[in-house]
Amino acid sequence: MTQLVEAFVAGFLFICGSAILIVPGRRWMTGLLALQYVGVFLLVSVSWPLEIAVVKLVAGWMAAAVLFLSYQRGPEVVSRERLTASVPGVVFMIFAALLIGLSMYSLLPTALRWFLGASPQQVLGGVWLLGLGTLQLGFSRQDIRIILGLLTVISGFEILYATLEASVLMTGLLALLNIGLAFVGAYLQMASSLEEPL
Amino acid sequence: MSTPILWILIPLFFAGLGLFFTRYPLVLKWSAVGIGSLLSLSASLLPINEPFRLLFWEIVLSDQLLVFGRRFVISGVDRPIVVLIFGVYLFWSLIQNPKNVPAYFSPLSLAGITLIITAYAVDPIFYGALFFAFLALLHVVMLSPPGGDPTPGVMRLLIYQILGMLFILFAAWLASWVGFNRGDQLMLSRSLVILALGFSFLLAIFPFISWIPMVAEKNHPFISGFIFNVYFLGVFLFGSRFLMEGGWFAQGINLQAPLQFAGVMMLVFGGVLAVFTHHLGRISAALVISEIGRSLLGFSLFRLGFPIYFAMFMIQTIALGNWSTSLTNLRSGLPEVDVRTAAGAGRQWPLISSGLIFSYFTLAGLPLLAGFPLYLALGNGLKAYPAWINGVLILGSLGLIIGGLRSFSVLMEDSGEESPLDLGDRFDKVVILALNLVLLLLGLFPQVVYQVAQLITDLMMGT
Repeated sequence: MTQLVEAFVAGFLFICGSAILIVPGRRWMTGLLALQYVGVFLLVSVSWPLEIAVVKLVAGWMAAAVLFLSYQRGPEVVSRERLTASVPGVVFMIFAALLIGLSMYSLLPTALRWFLGASPQQVLGGVWLLGLGTLQLGFSRQDIRIILGLLTVISGFEILYATLEASVLMTGLLALLNIGLAFVGAYLQMASSLEEPL
Repeated sequence: MSTPILWILIPLFFAGLGLFFTRYPLVLKWSAVGIGSLLSLSASLLPINEPFRLLFWEIVLSDQLLVFGRRFVISGVDRPIVVLIFGVYLFWSLIQNPKNVPAYFSPLSLAGITLIITAYAVDPIFYGALFFAFLALLHVVMLSPPGGDPTPGVMRLLIYQILGMLFILFAAWLASWVGFNRGDQLMLSRSLVILALGFSFLLAIFPFISWIPMVAEKNHPFISGFIFNVYFLGVFLFGSRFLMEGGWFAQGINLQAPLQFAGVMMLVFGGVLAVFTHHLGRISAALVISEIGRSLLGFSLFRLGFPIYFAMFMIQTIALGNWSTSLTNLRSGLPEVDVRTAAGAGRQWPLISSGLIFSYFTLAGLPLLAGFPLYLALGNGLKAYPAWINGVLILGSLGLIIGGLRSFSVLMEDSGEESPLDLGDRFDKVVILALNLVLLLLGLFPQVVYQVAQLITDLMMGT
C-alpha cells in the first residue's frame, strides 16, 4: 500500500514538473510549483522524520509565495505574462517531457545501484524532477522559467539526497537556498521597474 | 568570541546594515575601506586560541564555531587566506569611485567575501559548495542593477553555479560512501568524474565557459571585474581545501594530468577569443579565461605551484582593478565599448586608455610588466612535464598579445574627431596612474610579490 502511494506521488511529481513546462501563465506555474513541493515533502518523509521533512514543504511554499507576490505588479509586465508561445510549442514540450520521463524510467535500475537506501519510487520522483528541471533550464530564456527550473532541479536533488544524508544544517541551508532563489527570482521580476541607482 | 564570529558573522552584519545606506554612496565607500582595513588588520594581528587584552577585557579568540553539529573553523594556518581575502576587498573598496559604481557594491561585495570565507571554513568542507550557491545568488543581484533586465550571461552564471553545487555535494557523498580505504575503484572513478563536472561548472571550464564572455560584454565592468577576481579565488581556495581534506591526494590519484589538461584548454580558448573578438568587454573575458588556465596549471604543481598561484592572483587583482576602472570610465564616454566604436579613444583619453593597455598586457604576459616573470616561473615549474604544456602556455600568451595589439592599435587610430568630453574625474585618473606605476614597478621587481606569495604559502602549509 505504501509503495502504491509512493508511486502515485512520483507520478504526481512528473505531472506537476511537466505542467510547469507547458502552462503559459506565471501564476499557474507557481501554483504548480507549490503543489510539487507537497510531493517532494511526501517522498522525503519516507526517509526522514516528519518534523524535519516538513521543512522542505514550508521552505518550498515560502519560495512559491515569494514568487507569487512578485507578480502583483504594474501593467508593463502583463505583456510578458504569457511565456509559452504556440500550440506546436506546447505539443513539443509535452513530447520532450514524455521523452525525459521515459529515459529517466529506463535509467532507474542503474540509479537504484547508486542510491542504495532509496525506494524505486523516491529515485524515480527525484530523477524525473531533475530531468524536467534541466529541460526547463535548457529550453527557457525567461528569468522566471529559469528560476522555476532551478527550484525543480533542487527539489529532485533534495529527494535523492534525503536518502543519503540527514544533516540538520544541510536541510536548513537547502531550505534557505530555495527561499533565496525565490527572492532573487522576485527581484529579477521587479528589477526593470525599480529606480535606477545612478 | 571566536574567529568565525569575528570574520564571518560580524562582516555579514555590517553588509546587511550597509544596505540601509545606499543613498549615501560616499559613506558606504569609506565605511567599506574602514571595515576592510579593520578586518585585514585583525586577521593578521590577533592571536588565536591565546588570551589577549583589549582595553579592559581579556579575550580568548577560539578558532571554531559549532552550528547544528557542524564546525566552522578558521585556525592560525587559515590566517593568511583571511588576510588575503579581506585585503582584496580593501583594494576594490579603495579603487571604487562611488560616482560610477552602484551604491550596493560595497555591502554586497562584503557579503560575498564573507561567503567565500564561510565556504573555506566549514567542516566538512563539501558543505562549502552550498555557500557558493548563495554567492551565485548574490552575484546575480550585483550584476542585475535596478532599472534593467537581467542579462543572459547572469542567468547562465546562476544555472552553472547551482548545478556545480549539486554535483559537488553528490560527489562528496559518493566518495565518503565508497570509503577510500575499501579500494572500490569503479565507484571512486565515478565520484571523480562527478567531482570534475562539479568543479568544471564552478570554474567555468569548457564547455561551461560561455557565461564569462557574456557577463564581461553586457554587465558593469567594475562589478564583473570584481566578481571575476574574487569568485575564482574563492573556488580555487575551496577546491584546494576540498582536495586536501577529502583525502583525494592520499589515494595516489593522478590529479595533475586532468588539471593540466583543463588549464591548457582554457589557455587555448582565452588566446583564440582574444584574437577574434571585437569587444573590449569580451577581451577582458579572454584575460580571465587565460588566468583560470594558468591558475589550474599553477595548482597542478601543488606545493611548488601555490606561491606562483598566489603571486599571479595578486597581480591579477591589481590588473583587473585597473582594467575595470579604466573600462568603466571609457564606457561613460562611448555608446558601446566595441573596438570600432572606441577607435581613437587612445588619443582622446590617453590616461584612461593607458590603464586598459597596461593592465591588458600585464595579464597577457608582455615582458617588463608584472605578469611576465610569474608566467616565466610557471613555465619553469612545468619543465618536468610534457613540453606541449609549456608550448600552449606560450601560444596562449601570444594569442592574447596579438589580440591586444590588434584591438589597441584601433584605439590609437586617428579617428579625426575631437571630443570635448573629459572622461574620468581626478580620483579615477589618480587610481589608473598609480596602478599603472605599480604594474610597471612589479614587473621590474617581481621578487616583492613572489616573497609575499611564498610567505602566504608557508603560513598556509604551517611551515
